[in-house]
Amino acid sequence: MKETSNKYLIVALLFGVIFHGSAIFFTLENTYDALIHMFFGNHYASSWFEPWNYSWYTGFTVMGYPPLVHQTIGLLSYVGGLKFGMFTVAITGIILFITGVFRYTVLITGNRTVAGYAAIVAILSSSFVETLHIFGQLPSIIGVSVLMHAMPEIYLYIKTGRWKYFFTATSLIAVTVCSHHVTPLFGMVFFISPLIGMVIMDASREKVNSYKEIKFKLFFNTFLSLFKRIVLFCGSAVFLIVFCILPYWINSKANPITQVPIPHGSRDNFLEVTSSGLMFFLIPWGILLFILPYIFYRYYSKRYIFFGLSITLLTILGTGGTTPIPLKMLGETAFNILTLDRFTLWASIMSLPIFGEFVYRLVEGDLKTALQNKFGTVYHRVLGGLFAGSFLLFTVFTITLGYFRPLQPDKINFLPIVNFLNQDQHDQWRFLPLGFGDQMALLSTQTKAMTVDGNYHSARRLPELTTRAVERLENSKFRGVEGIGSLQQFLTVPEKYNLKYVFSNDKFYDPILYFCGWHRLTQLENGIMVWEKLNVQPLSKILPKEDVSVVLKLMWGIIPLLTVLIAFILNIQMIWLQALKIKVLDKPAFLNHGVAYTSFKSWMIKLLHIWTGIVLIFFGIGIYFTYIKNATQISPENVVKSYYDALDFKFYEKAHSYIVPDKEYSLAQFMLEISVSDGILNSYGKLDAIETTIKNNSTKKAKVIAKTKWITPLEIIEKTYTHEVEKIKGKWYIIPDKKDTDLPPDEFIATNVNSYYKQGRRKISTQQTYHDDILRQPDLEIIKANLVYFDNKYMIIGEVQNIDNVPADVVLKASLYDDKDKMLGTFNAKYVIKHKLMPKETTSFRVNFEDIAWLNATDVKPTSFNPDEFTDKNFNNKPVTFDIQSAGNVAISDLYTSVAISDLVVSDKEIKGTLFNYGIQEVTVPEILISYYNDKKELIYVDHKFLKEGVRIQRKQYFTYSFLNLSTLKSLKYSTANCFVNGISNEAIARDVIKKRRTSEEEEQLQKVNGKGFSYIKIELNNYIGNPK
Amino acid sequence: MIKRKLYIIILVSIALVLLSVTLLDEKSTSKNTFSCLTNQESFAAGKPITIEFKGNYENKPQLFIIHSLGRTLLDGVLKNDTIQFNLPKNYTNKTGLVSWFLIENNEEKAKGNFQIVPNDKTKTNLESYLGPPSTLAGDNHFVMFVTIPTDDFDNPKLENTNVAIKHQFLNAIATDNKKTKDFIAWKNIYAPTKSGIVLISASCNEALTKEFDAVIYPSIATDFTISYKRNHEFADGNQITKLTTSTLKDKFGNTVSDGTMVTFIIKNKENAILKTFGTTIEGIATGQILHPEKEENYTIKAFVNGISKSNSIEIAYKSINPTVEFSFSKDNRTIIVGPIKSFMNQIVPDGIKVNLNIYHKDKLVETITENSNKGKAEFYLSPEFYKEKSYRFEIETLGKTIKTKEINVVNQ
Repeated sequence: MKETSNKYLIVALLFGVIFHGSAIFFTLENTYDALIHMFFGNHYASSWFEPWNYSWYTGFTVMGYPPLVHQTIGLLSYVGGLKFGMFTVAITGIILFITGVFRYTVLITGNRTVAGYAAIVAILSSSFVETLHIFGQLPSIIGVSVLMHAMPEIYLYIKTGRWKYFFTATSLIAVTVCSHHVTPLFGMVFFISPLIGMVIMDASREKVNSYKEIKFKLFFNTFLSLFKRIVLFCGSAVFLIVFCILPYWINSKANPITQVPIPHGSRDNFLEVTSSGLMFFLIPWGILLFILPYIFYRYYSKRYIFFGLSITLLTILGTGGTTPIPLKMLGETAFNILTLDRFTLWASIMSLPIFGEFVYRLVEGDLKTALQNKFGTVYHRVLGGLFAGSFLLFTVFTITLGYFRPLQPDKINFLPIVNFLNQDQHDQWRFLPLGFGDQMALLSTQTKAMTVDGNYHSARRLPELTTRAVERLENSKFRGVEGIGSLQQFLTVPEKYNLKYVFSNDKFYDPILYFCGWHRLTQLENGIMVWEKLNVQPLSKILPKEDVSVVLKLMWGIIPLLTVLIAFILNIQMIWLQALKIKVLDKPAFLNHGVAYTSFKSWMIKLLHIWTGIVLIFFGIGIYFTYIKNATQISPENVVKSYYDALDFKFYEKAHSYIVPDKEYSLAQFMLEISVSDGILNSYGKLDAIETTIKNNSTKKAKVIAKTKWITPLEIIEKTYTHEVEKIKGKWYIIPDKKDTDLPPDEFIATNVNSYYKQGRRKISTQQTYHDDILRQPDLEIIKANLVYFDNKYMIIGEVQNIDNVPADVVLKASLYDDKDKMLGTFNAKYVIKHKLMPKETTSFRVNFEDIAWLNATDVKPTSFNPDEFTDKNFNNKPVTFDIQSAGNVAISDLYTSVAISDLVVSDKEIKGTLFNYGIQEVTVPEILISYYNDKKELIYVDHKFLKEGVRIQRKQYFTYSFLNLSTLKSLKYSTANCFVNGISNEAIARDVIKKRRTSEEEEQLQKVNGKGFSYIKIELNNYIGNPK
Repeated sequence: MIKRKLYIIILVSIALVLLSVTLLDEKSTSKNTFSCLTNQESFAAGKPITIEFKGNYENKPQLFIIHSLGRTLLDGVLKNDTIQFNLPKNYTNKTGLVSWFLIENNEEKAKGNFQIVPNDKTKTNLESYLGPPSTLAGDNHFVMFVTIPTDDFDNPKLENTNVAIKHQFLNAIATDNKKTKDFIAWKNIYAPTKSGIVLISASCNEALTKEFDAVIYPSIATDFTISYKRNHEFADGNQITKLTTSTLKDKFGNTVSDGTMVTFIIKNKENAILKTFGTTIEGIATGQILHPEKEENYTIKAFVNGISKSNSIEIAYKSINPTVEFSFSKDNRTIIVGPIKSFMNQIVPDGIKVNLNIYHKDKLVETITENSNKGKAEFYLSPEFYKEKSYRFEIETLGKTIKTKEINVVNQ
């Protein structure tokens, strides 16, 4: 009989390619992974056989990820560019997936019509949509699709033993291996083993009359008869998994993933972290949740029993941290490395044939008849409509998720950044993007400049990164103490990484950059702010790399595409014949084992109804709780929480709507008040936690105390607010606070300021060095230096002055040595120093010796976030001496000094002061540096404090600072003997400029205090301007 | 048979040839001597250099050359009974001592050396460097100007080549003739006591350098004086007193560099040290400070840290002696302070700090601070915290303290 074309499959292909093919152009570039794959593609396009990539992480090997998809993108990029390559591969993946589901369903059900239905529902299945349009996991999709293509071939080989099928099967397995290593590895367990079980079942069935007659003995005998084929196939598959990506395995052995696991949502408890539950459970299962009993019922029938076990296992593993079972099954290591969402993905894909079968039976099969007989045609139509409707709803919801809840920062135009890097040899240094999201991979494809960051965390090499659960520095603010801690370390000692430029797309990081000694260079046309650090050496011409043997390089470059070529040649004939129906083909063996869809079990209909009811109840409860939690004005506590939420997200109109409606207090007034409150909290704070307690609760009025915890780039701030709330017409409102009524003295201010400009290279030329254009490094003097031991920490404190005639940027590096002059540690001054000094300006400084945090596995990690925290370096030997290397460079910005201490009340315990800003720039974050002196007026300690609120122009800001108890402080070495400025001895440079320091005059400026362990203090100010005008 | 004969003949002839070659060789080496025909000991750079030898050159002797660019072997050119060796062009362009060794069959046959000297007939070039690009006025600070005159092949000229180094400052232009020593001619140009820019150039033969400039910065500041300016003498907390320095000068009378930081140290009556800052523009730094809110006596002194100081001045602020009214609400839980009237009987500007000290049985319970608005400040004592019946209050504002008598508050 001549076989007709399967019209459902054709419909599915046409529809699938149109639907996904057009949608990917709007979604793929915003996904988590797609751009990373494109970056890898770019690597192969530029150096096919060289696995070392310098762009990320101070160099890494691309042998950490199977190369097929990347190489294909790279190859296609020669035709139409990288994006063309990526989209072509994505469309190929879509086609492979649809046809794969079709073939897999034919294999499972033995019914081509059912398979057609399965192909159609596969297009819209939410797990596929999520994997492609939200995660962008192209290799994963291609891997699983090719695996599905391989399954009928495997079945036929084991069943018939014909070599033709052996080669087609293994060739497809090889392709799977080269595109995604995890898929065949787990595929062997979860897909191929149950398939082999099914083959044995079918073979046994052929010996008896029904599946019921298959007993264990028969099954075992059949197994023995097929044993040789099974072993041969499995052996070959394992060989291919090892051989095809041998360099990958060798690399994993050489560079085992020793890093701290990166938290992943799929390991969360889905009931606690509902957003993870949505992303990794609800969405991938989608509509399948409603027919779970049917899926399990079908897979637990005798023929599919092994698939039943497999899907059960997958389902459980996919629940992540909700139950302790996955952790126990996988073990700690595997649990923390694997992303568990893939198990759910495989479970949902495995369900697709049964889902197709269900739809077939509902639309034109026995379920339709049963329903119509039992409930009438109208019920069937309504039910079908509802089912189809919710199915589509899930799909639409999934695909538009990224649109309504953006997963990535807005699309960035990279051209200005690329131009900046190409200009003036800026690409001779490393750069660091901040707040770019996964788009940073796209930037790396467009420039040859390198970054210390990267977006493939398994390849990270620097211990500063691998010891922390920080995926990228770029989004470190989302990783709490570890993120900001890592970032601080890179920003404080950037010369270690040749890091000179930071591209900031997120204002949040501005204060940390300023206080680490960076300064704004320019704002690019795309709004990205470029920050620069002076005194950083360019990268050396030759960079280290880990080389591998030529054999491995050749294997890596040749085998993957070769597997595709071989698979193509071996399979094309059959596909050609099948597609065009030129020749009548043998009926594949598995077509004989389908079940007849004649009588849908009525108890199953009942069960499905009950199950649907249960699922709906669960949904209802979930929605109700979400509503109660989010209903904004239902209780005094809710309104306060919502108010802070709105403020946190800068939804000021919404925040204003929670305030008691008052004609006098309009939105305009509210906005005005918001706009004049600047500072670390208002401009850079991110609300981390809010706890509310109610006091004086009556039916109409209440007082709510809100304990808030804010994450700022510099430190954690806890602040308690008290709000009066009032109930009006059933809704609670906040009674607004009184605002500061202080009026600045002058309406109009005229002032003269010193401003500076550096020409840089005066001649338009790419020549590196023109002696005339190099500014002399400003002279500094390290006036005081002291090695102290306090609070179980060694630190170096001191005072440095710019004794030159031009403003200076100060980089200060201190090193500790033991009694045998062995260096123990070295670090730069971070927050406790004023990095930019006017001529003759002085600053106190403190250098702490930070270690790479939590280098030892035994170290206890803090559970709460505190960006100010760092791990102290542990010294084996006692530090006895130190040196300080300081370097001055001409600075031209961030030199604001127009803030006065206009009032001060000193007691033994604290100082209360008033700052007054008499200049014309608004100070966003004022930092006060407090130096402590002993009775001999020797400097013994330096402390700092960031003020929570800024100082506006001609306004006051109050501060309180509590003194430390320094009675335990030990001053170990008070000497400037080993201090160097610009490589020259401090003393020599200083005495050349200032013949004799007038120390007694400096001492006159100290404030006498009756403190514990100290007698004098000095206050200095460091003013960070958020928006320089 | 014929074939075998042929082989024997070939083998024997080969052996003979080899033998004859070795014999010939031995013969010739034992006899051969060479004599150098080139006597010239000095060559100008850029001119072709040929070394000639007379002798038997059948064994192709070679000339081994040691030159500052490196060592090499030269092959000779035969001409009648002489053999000539031509130095490659890049060797002849570079000055220095050249040693040669004539080698035949790995044996040294003759040796000698000659000089290549700079070629004065070519164009002179001047390479020059000035450093540091800036220095301080006077006090033996100097910048160093270094020149290297070279011929057109970039060879430094011979010792004692004349270089004229000129420098200009204000109206003075000086020329110095320096002779090269160890390739360089150099001069330390000592900074004048005036700040400004010194221009420097040099010439050698017809070669001229471009204009170099060294910036002379003023030296460190000497002591100075300060003065102040204010709108009125009242301590109203709402006016600004400007503190100004005299023009800061160094010991040579130069105005110090713009941006020099001056710290004004202000000691108040309580000996607390307040601070304001100024950076100089044309030598004058200005700091500003807000008027205190109560009667004060500031002692002010300014410093350039570790370098110089000013005289000490005193500024007295008079109390505005405000009239402060206050009233209580019915339940005595709201205290309205105000209107607060200032020195002309005007209402004080908004934002004046009003402290309310609350005492219970002569013990301070709390101090509440409010800012004035339209001359008034309102305090509310919530029954939650102030549970006692009677309190006594002290109102503090603008340096004035008003004490109330014991007041009973109403408790719900």
